[in-house]
Amino acid sequence: MFGKIKLRLFAVSVVAILLSFFLQGTLAYYSTVGTATNVVTTGNIRFLIHEKTDQGTEFPKEGVYIVPGDVVSKQVSIESDCDHPFYLRVKIVYGIDSQELSAEECFKLNVDETVWELRDGWYYYKGIVQPGQTTPNVFSHVEMVGAAMDNRHLGKTLTLSVVAQGVQSENNPVNGTDTYTALGWPQN
Amino acid sequence: MKKILTFSLLLALCFSFSLVFQGESSRVIYDGSSRNFIFDVDGTASPTDLFANFKSVMPGDVKTQKITVKNDASNKIKVRLYLRSLGAVEGSEEFLSQLTLQVKQSEDNTMAYMFDAAADRPAQLSDWVCLGTLYSGGEVNLDVTLLVPTELDNRYSSQTGLLTWEFRAEELPLEPGDPQPPPTSDMPLSWGWIVAIGLCAVGVVLLLIWRRRARDDEDEE
Repeated sequence: MFGKIKLRLFAVSVVAILLSFFLQGTLAYYSTVGTATNVVTTGNIRFLIHEKTDQGTEFPKEGVYIVPGDVVSKQVSIESDCDHPFYLRVKIVYGIDSQELSAEECFKLNVDETVWELRDGWYYYKGIVQPGQTTPNVFSHVEMVGAAMDNRHLGKTLTLSVVAQGVQSENNPVNGTDTYTALGWPQN
Repeated sequence: MKKILTFSLLLALCFSFSLVFQGESSRVIYDGSSRNFIFDVDGTASPTDLFANFKSVMPGDVKTQKITVKNDASNKIKVRLYLRSLGAVEGSEEFLSQLTLQVKQSEDNTMAYMFDAAADRPAQLSDWVCLGTLYSGGEVNLDVTLLVPTELDNRYSSQTGLLTWEFRAEELPLEPGDPQPPPTSDMPLSWGWIVAIGLCAVGVVLLLIWRRRARDDEDEE
């Protein structure tokens, strides 16, 4: 009696196992999910302003002592420090630690206007600064104009600052070397 | 000579590494044996980043990225593949909302744009979208286009935005009407073999019964 029950149980189990194989074949499926974290980044325009002497050394940050008529070696160039080409403009800002005096006439720069075009107080580089490229010098010497300086300038500190701005040249075409017509120059 | 050999080996090594990721197309592979997705991508920014071409983008850029989704499962099953977007990762919403993303299936252009909206949103991909049912080795290609507006503000320079996509694979058994895979060495046994094995099994059973009976007869004697 007990043996017969065992046999039936065995038969039912076999049938169930066989059925499960068929069911697996027709109904069951696997589902898998994979996640992708996608990254979008934007570029930028970066550059370095180099100020050197004709000896190839850095122009001293503390400045130099001058007398009227001196010609100071100061070579200013801009080096691209990004992966994108850009247009460039440079402005020279003069200063003096005195309310009564103006420094503007005291300096005379030898800007190469075949490469730099003066427009509205800015010198526009007539080409495109490519990644890794360094521009020709904006100027290489500064002459302290004797006629514009007198005893009132004695002991005063005169400053000459170089301000540069860049704007992307990709998707921003200009006509020839008219880089001042490019879109995106800051308003100031 | 040794130096030349070393140099050649190094060159070959570099070349073989460069073949791992070709740069043009990112690949999402459904691996049937591990039941996982494998992302064959550049991987510099994220190990699952499918947007290799969307790096260092500039205002006015229109960049495209091809993504190939492949079924690398066994030829006994077919796989239904789905895609959905979870949108921008927290913190990336504002930046990505400035950009437009378009996704379309490039196989034969039968499916128009699946997605065309600001990049931070899931838009039409908020629900699972079926990319198709692929047999073993089958592929589906997606063309993703990123549009960066010319007027994108300077404050968005040097930004990073993260966008999450999910792929889902459902394994389904092959049905009678499905195209039959080409015969390979790992194909199931043919009917001839099954009959042969069955006959052998019956033979073994008969042999065992005959031996038992012979033993019983010996015992009775």
